[in-house]
Amino acid sequence: MKKLASIIRMLSPDCKEAVRLQSKALDRPLTGLQRIGLRIHLALCVWCTRYGKQIKFLRAAAKQGNRDLTANQSLSAEARERIKRRLQTGND
Amino acid sequence: MQAENEFTDNPQPPGLSDPDQWVDLYGDYLFKFALIRLRDPAKAEDAVQETFLAALKGGKSFSGRSAEKSWLAGILKNKIFDYYRKASREISFTDLDFYAGEDSNCFVPDGPGKGGWIHELGPQEWASAGESLDNELFWKTYRDCAGKLPENIAAVFNLREVDGVASKDICVQLNISEGNLWVMLHRARMALRRCLETNWFAKR
Repeated sequence: MKKLASIIRMLSPDCKEAVRLQSKALDRPLTGLQRIGLRIHLALCVWCTRYGKQIKFLRAAAKQGNRDLTANQSLSAEARERIKRRLQTGND
Repeated sequence: MQAENEFTDNPQPPGLSDPDQWVDLYGDYLFKFALIRLRDPAKAEDAVQETFLAALKGGKSFSGRSAEKSWLAGILKNKIFDYYRKASREISFTDLDFYAGEDSNCFVPDGPGKGGWIHELGPQEWASAGESLDNELFWKTYRDCAGKLPENIAAVFNLREVDGVASKDICVQLNISEGNLWVMLHRARMALRRCLETNWFAKR
């Protein structure tokens, strides 16, 4: 039983590595071995499980924020005029 | 680049709208697009101007406003990439030392429990996270937290998360290794997550 436990411990990453793996998994598939080890760790670690959900949330927020982040920003009247003028000379 | 060929190969008079109208029609949209990615209003204004100038040279006809808008956005995207590429050559773009702490300071450095979350820093439960996305105050907090990311890290994060550019393409365009990219993304996520938790979710 002890041997099995130590094999399991060897297979699975610590939290520091588990969060790295979860971040990596957002951009590129993990190897089979990495995935198994991570699953084992996540089954035992509520913090890292939350971490995984939260970085997925960050991804959704970033995508949506694309719309909301600059809701109140617009080209200033001065910049608008400046660009129009520049386009006129560019057109000649 | 491919985009360049696309609009200099076949110069035609502008289609649906007059370039004079472009600033009024698309100026704000392009400005916001650039502002998210470049974060500085002056740089964003320059990028918009450069985009219109390049579009003038090209000239194309379109079947509709939205096609024209997408075309302009495409030119702008390339201008922004050019900007990032230039920036990556001038400073230490990968800047791995910055935020090195994000990666290691949250975990027990040695002894029993090495590599585990430091107890007080372990991720908390985020109650009804989805609802936060409808809250304007949340977005203010998000803006502030995203604003804390250093420029190069923010650039990479935006390319990957906002634009959905494939990792391989980011690496090729910015001339950084995949390893560096992953470290930067990891640190961006660690920092953003922590900032949002401290300043928003922990207070709910």
